[in-house]
Amino acid sequence: MVFGLKNFLLKGGTRSPASLPEDVRLALEAWRASTAPALDGPHFHTRYVVVDVATSGSRAAEDELLGISAVGVQAGSILPADAFALDLAADVAADAAVDRQLMAFLTYAAKAPLVTYHSPFVSGFLQRAYKERLGVDFQPQWIDLAWLLPSLFPEKSMKVVALDDWLEMFGLGSSGRRDTMANTLVLARLFQMLLVRATGKEIATAGKLVEESQAATFLRRHH
Amino acid sequence: MSTEQQAIGQAEMALRQQGSRRVAGSTQGFLKLHAPFNKMAAEALQFFADKAKLTFYAAGSEIIGPDAGNVRYFYLIESGKVQARQAGEVTVTEYSVLSLNPGESFPIGAVTAGRPSTNVYTAVEDTFCYQLPAEDFLTLMATSREFNLFCTQYIASLLNQSRLQLQQQFAQRASEQQTLNSPLAGIGSRSPVTVAPETPLRTALEGMSKAHVGSLVIAGEDRKPVGVFTRSDLLDRVVLADLPHDAPISAAMSPTPFMLEEHATAYDAMLAMATNGIRHVLVTDAEGRLTGVVSERDLFALQRVGLRQIRQTIESAENVEALQQSAADVRQLSFNMLAQGIGAEQLTQFISALNDALTRRVIQLNLNNHNFDGIEWAWLAFGSEGRDEQTFSTDQDNGIVFAAPEAAAVDGLRQRFLAFALDVNKDLDRCGFPLCKGNIMASNPQWCLSLDEWKEQFSQWIRVPQPEALLNATIFFDFRALFGKAELADAMRRHLLVQTSSNPMFLRAMAHNALDVEPPLGKIRDFLTDLEPDQPGKIDLKKYGSRIFVDVARIYALATGVHNTNSVQRLRLASKRLSIRDEEINAVLEGLDFIQLLRLRHQYLEGEPGRQGDNLINPDNLNELDRRILKESFRQARKIQTRLKLDYQVH
Repeated sequence: MVFGLKNFLLKGGTRSPASLPEDVRLALEAWRASTAPALDGPHFHTRYVVVDVATSGSRAAEDELLGISAVGVQAGSILPADAFALDLAADVAADAAVDRQLMAFLTYAAKAPLVTYHSPFVSGFLQRAYKERLGVDFQPQWIDLAWLLPSLFPEKSMKVVALDDWLEMFGLGSSGRRDTMANTLVLARLFQMLLVRATGKEIATAGKLVEESQAATFLRRHH
Repeated sequence: MSTEQQAIGQAEMALRQQGSRRVAGSTQGFLKLHAPFNKMAAEALQFFADKAKLTFYAAGSEIIGPDAGNVRYFYLIESGKVQARQAGEVTVTEYSVLSLNPGESFPIGAVTAGRPSTNVYTAVEDTFCYQLPAEDFLTLMATSREFNLFCTQYIASLLNQSRLQLQQQFAQRASEQQTLNSPLAGIGSRSPVTVAPETPLRTALEGMSKAHVGSLVIAGEDRKPVGVFTRSDLLDRVVLADLPHDAPISAAMSPTPFMLEEHATAYDAMLAMATNGIRHVLVTDAEGRLTGVVSERDLFALQRVGLRQIRQTIESAENVEALQQSAADVRQLSFNMLAQGIGAEQLTQFISALNDALTRRVIQLNLNNHNFDGIEWAWLAFGSEGRDEQTFSTDQDNGIVFAAPEAAAVDGLRQRFLAFALDVNKDLDRCGFPLCKGNIMASNPQWCLSLDEWKEQFSQWIRVPQPEALLNATIFFDFRALFGKAELADAMRRHLLVQTSSNPMFLRAMAHNALDVEPPLGKIRDFLTDLEPDQPGKIDLKKYGSRIFVDVARIYALATGVHNTNSVQRLRLASKRLSIRDEEINAVLEGLDFIQLLRLRHQYLEGEPGRQGDNLINPDNLNELDRRILKESFRQARKIQTRLKLDYQVH
């Protein structure tokens, strides 16, 4: 069925809104019109969405997005009711159902800051999917644990290390294969710990945390 | 709303539900590893997992306390460690500090009652907790029987689960050990005494005597048996047949012995013995070479030996050899009872009862050689035997009291009793009650006393409570008459109670002594395992466990005039006289019961056959449930210590 998708649009091309199913188009408009939540409140009042993706490979330009898992972290807690899981088969139909599902994630996330590990990777897959499928330039506020953890927990590691190394250092379960949701849940836990540490270091709002994430990424990449 | 908008709304809802299911699945995976959740129905787990949120508490942060108002959540520790501290005045009835681990929950009482927590709960390590809102907690209590049971019978239900596990563990072991379907390869003697057919009779008989065996297998060089020679053959075939002692053993043996291959079962052997009227079956490998001998006695041990049978055997035993076998039967039967999940209290009393019967029989047999007609005397049991609290590993603690018509006769009588006691002590040792290392035995002139001497000894300890006197009090004040004139022991008891009640300083000194050792509860770690320098990582369950209860029970019994020596009975009776609430004392007794059960289990499972087991356990080797109950049991020990401390003003 992949050819169906290719009939529709060129790989790497941007989907025109006109070709979207009517309900998706309306939902997208509503999403665009919605205001992103303010990021200047304390962490306790901010909803973060921790996200991880399943992919068929590591190159965002060529490999397929196979799934999205997400949980909300609100008031420092993971609530089972605030979760999202989307599986896309590799040979997924280019039908309206997929458009709706991708749109559903945007509605679910509701422009909250997104937390992940190695945001360029996750972001790369999401950007391509949203551009090709919904014609959206997906540019959320990213909080990248890979870069933030060494900057907030320098006593554990000063440099970027593999996720499993962090889990081991924090004593969060065994390493090894996890499905996307399990991975999302361990990321959420790291993030819960990080929020407490950030507050202690006077990085008390979501906005400051996003800035810190960007600064950490920039500083460590360039210096 | 248009149908299209509904379609996208449905898509989002479906994907949210899918996400929630997966998050809940992860929670359920955790719940299934921990009691009581592992026993709860799938719907109940689903409900918990759907409703509980996961929250992080950094090390050092307070999770909940009395100031937080009515408790809004039931907390279940997912990882990390939480310390509970009692807020405000420390009361007698509760622990002051305790630590909680993954799988443990709090504050059950407060969330059930919808009141503020009385404890301050603090994360001592980085901790994740599942938090179930109070209303969902109550729903779960109302819908899940297991959860309800867990919350309402917090300690009791844990104890039961542990018992069930114990039963399973033992049932397996018991079935491995004792069914009549077991192959003969694992039963009876694996190294039977064998001689060649041409061996002279005299040599063969000397060999039997030296090896202390009642039978010989006669086998050729190929180890194929050709005959059996038993003690009963000696009379018929040697003495009565007037066979010269240099005749070959083959002339006196019973030829064509009955043989079974190793893979035959105990049942086959039993059948063969019953139908052929024989007492031994030779066991061979497939080529017919001797590999072992199974006796009637070996098969008897396989069967579920009954209490009455053992008693009868003990009471009719004609010599110490027969009693040795009975001692082994007592052990086997105790294991069976342990396997059936019988509580420690009954089990230790039962072991004591059979050991009493054994001891009485040893005394009776020795009275054949020592005559005390016309003299009033009694055999006394001290220590754990005196308290009916014997475990599998118990050495002798005994003494003698006798009535002397006049002071001049005392030393003469003592000499006679000492000679008798020495024989009894030695025979008891042969029956598996090792001689007392501290020489607390009737054969020690110090503990073979007239009634007046005992009274004077007791008075002296009570008047001058030196450390040694206090130590002796913990052994000798737990006495009871095991044989002979029980009235003598009663007279000793009356004297003791009068003396202790008129010497309050003595009980205070005893209390002080009893508080020297505290239960090994850590403030951060669960257990202190470094109290015994030469046994790192281990806890002495006697020294830091049962002895605490026993010591407190003794003091309260003496203080309230309780005549019993058994700690459970002492605590029950004394608590009535002291108006301690039943629930409170029952929790204490359950704690003692569990520690005793662990000791028995440890001595059985870890003990090597024929060697004295110890009381040292490594808490890391316990399963999570047992660890939690052990912790609770130690808390109960601390609880009664705290009461003792207040009652006797020991600081």
